[in-house]
Amino acid sequence: MTAIIETEQLTKFYGTHRGIVDVDLVVNEGEAFGFLGPNGAGKTTMIRTLLDHIRPTRGRARIFGIETTADPVAIHRRLGYLPGEFALYDKLTGGQTIEYFANLRGGVDRAYQQQLMDRLDVDPSRRFREYSKGNKQKIGLVVALQHRPELLLLDEPTSGLDPLIQQEFYSVIREAKAEGRTVFMSSHILSEVERTCDRVAIIRDGRLVRVDRVGALRDMAHHTVEIRFTGPVPEAEFRTLPGVSDVVAEDHVLRMRVTGGITPVVQTAARYELSDFVSREPTLEETFLAEYGQEPVAEGAGNDR
Amino acid sequence: MTAELTRAPMRTPAAPASEGPSLRARLLGLGSVFGKTIRDSRRAMLIVGGISAALVLVIAYAIVTEFNTPESRKEIARVIAAVPPIMQGLAGSGFNAETLGGYIQYKYGGFFPLVTGLWSILALSGTLAAEIRRGSLDFVAAGPVGRRRIALEKVLAHATMVFVAMALIMGSLWLAGTAFAALPGDEIPFSAAIGYALWLGLMALASGSVAFAVAPFLGRGAALAIAGGLMFLGFIINGYRTAIPELGRFADLTWFGWTNDHIPLASRYDWTSVGLTAGFAVVMLAIGVEAFARRDLGSTIALPLPRLPHALLGLRGPFGRSLSERLPTALSWGVGIGFFGLMMASVGDTFTEQLAQAPGFRAALETLFPDVDIASTGGFLELVFVEFGLILAGLAGASLVSGWASDETSGRLELLLATPLQRTRWAVASGLGVLVGVVIVMLLTAAGIAVGGSTAGSDFGTAVLGSGAVGLYGGALAGVGMAVGGIFGAGVAGTVVVAITILTWLLDFLVPSLDLPSWLQQLALSSHMGQPMLGVWDVPGIVLCLALAVGGVVVGALAFARRDLRG
Repeated sequence: MTAIIETEQLTKFYGTHRGIVDVDLVVNEGEAFGFLGPNGAGKTTMIRTLLDHIRPTRGRARIFGIETTADPVAIHRRLGYLPGEFALYDKLTGGQTIEYFANLRGGVDRAYQQQLMDRLDVDPSRRFREYSKGNKQKIGLVVALQHRPELLLLDEPTSGLDPLIQQEFYSVIREAKAEGRTVFMSSHILSEVERTCDRVAIIRDGRLVRVDRVGALRDMAHHTVEIRFTGPVPEAEFRTLPGVSDVVAEDHVLRMRVTGGITPVVQTAARYELSDFVSREPTLEETFLAEYGQEPVAEGAGNDR
Repeated sequence: MTAELTRAPMRTPAAPASEGPSLRARLLGLGSVFGKTIRDSRRAMLIVGGISAALVLVIAYAIVTEFNTPESRKEIARVIAAVPPIMQGLAGSGFNAETLGGYIQYKYGGFFPLVTGLWSILALSGTLAAEIRRGSLDFVAAGPVGRRRIALEKVLAHATMVFVAMALIMGSLWLAGTAFAALPGDEIPFSAAIGYALWLGLMALASGSVAFAVAPFLGRGAALAIAGGLMFLGFIINGYRTAIPELGRFADLTWFGWTNDHIPLASRYDWTSVGLTAGFAVVMLAIGVEAFARRDLGSTIALPLPRLPHALLGLRGPFGRSLSERLPTALSWGVGIGFFGLMMASVGDTFTEQLAQAPGFRAALETLFPDVDIASTGGFLELVFVEFGLILAGLAGASLVSGWASDETSGRLELLLATPLQRTRWAVASGLGVLVGVVIVMLLTAAGIAVGGSTAGSDFGTAVLGSGAVGLYGGALAGVGMAVGGIFGAGVAGTVVVAITILTWLLDFLVPSLDLPSWLQQLALSSHMGQPMLGVWDVPGIVLCLALAVGGVVVGALAFARRDLRG
């Protein structure tokens, strides 16, 4: 696999304020990569460092094998970027704004540009300042996508979009992936990452705490198990099982949290008369929140190089 | 059975656990809209009030030091009386000019309303409109305070701060009269100080109230332009009403015209006109409050301004885009300065006629400007246009640089520099767009002077070339601004240019007044322009201006390529 984004101990401090610290990451060609973290965790700093909008305090980043500080223009030629927050030219219409950015790239495929505008339901005739937040976001998406970039850097791309347009956006991302293009997307909307990404990184206080496949991340997390007995609840037997915690008994119902394999719980429950057994798989959101209670992983841990 | 409708008893909310804001917070802090507005405008109040008060003291000290004998005061009065009306121009009435108060009123008193008025316009045009634009007013208006009350509290807070600033000025006037009085009549009575400060505050509020009344309908930008335009126009036409009587009828439509005879520091009062100004301000502020209360929040009327044709939008690259973005600003400043030049040039022949009737004054001027024909349009413009024109050129440069900086401060640059656009190319191309904007200002100034000079039927060729000073000075300051923006961040660039413009003006004004060493004045770029309206150019100064303009773009570009983009 060809690495599209590689970072080594990438660190950025704003004076004494922490941005990102020792970030080691590899994103491969054709991959959709989610970058998760709450506000202030360092997601935007990471993306702006990759773009060479800000320079690393230490460490390095390469995109397409090119060091970001060495030849940013060569990198920019091949990527599309949507910032988390942006303003454009108030007096230009949406169409003129899109045209300007197309010109800065030496022209784009007009048919594809128009197709994107149609799919995202962009009204190009209004001045930028007259657009709602969602409509401004659509203009930004067209600007980022219109030249069919090899790499998409998207900072919270669906912010402000209505559900229908969000679906269309996911479809555009899936198509980009199918064409072998790479997507690096920051978000704190976990369902969005779960739906579009192959792998996900979680960042906390500027440090990566986990990098893994979306499915693996979910599998590694806990299950919530609820068992309804026809007779008395054998609570003590379950408390001693490996990986079981937060056991609560209420009438004939026993609830618990199971980390890791669920087999011992199933085998123990099978010895009793049950009226119901429910095991709920965790959402990525639950995994994310659970992960946020843990210590940072060692440098590079979980990287799928 | 008839169902009886009963109203559910309203639940009485539990008593709040915490107490409301303290009186101090309501008046000076975050306890009310009034308190927050006071808190937000402390710095502006201290800058305007503090600097003006300090200037009054410095000026007064300089006057009594320079003219400390009865003979020298008589000479001042004689010279002022000998100055032709056309040359009195933007200075005030020469009434009682031999006294300290009268001289301050004559020479400087008329300029302070421009400073305080500008503050009031900026504050009152933005206090609601800017909050609407950034969205914070949506939160405030969704609270338990009505819109009318929000607007009233904002206005009252601004008026309070204006009068606190005026109190500082009043105090310094009284102190100057008490501490520095050198001759009989130099004392400035308390009543005179109050009369001047009250007038100054009301003049500021009159200018600001126009912006406040217009802003709910047209938005902040239009309110700024309309109120600022009216203020400067009123100031200029009232200044020249004696020389050009036809202007009098227009001047009388403005608060400058109404209060023309209210010169309290020279012991002449016209309280009726002050009352009229106060009434006007109250009416305009009431219109603003009601408009804000009744209209949809943030809904403004789009003025049917023509859109730029597609070819002028500059969509091909960063130079064209920068120039296109700067074009409205450049045109506005160019038309404004050009109009000022047109007015001055068009009365050049009047000046020549009046100069012929004042041989003593002409002789004095010829001593100051040997080897040049002072009795020409260029001579007149050198005396009355250049100093003010250069200040305006500096401010024009500052607004062009602020526009340039907005690419970074607004976040546009995030997207622009994610395209295959080199940082240095953006900085150089957009910087050249700013410099071309300055050239447009210069060309429009030259056009104004040409039109004015041609209507006066005088030789205006030299003066038209002299308007190049506006371009050189504006370009140099813009270059410095872009260098500073490139090195330290675009957010400070415009402010630095404004600061240099004001500092330069202060050097020009204070060094001779205070008899300070001349090398201090040499620090001011404006003292290295020669006498451009008379065709006398200071070559090293011109070279320095060009170097600052072009070098500023280059230095800014190199520095910008090396620093982080501000997010």
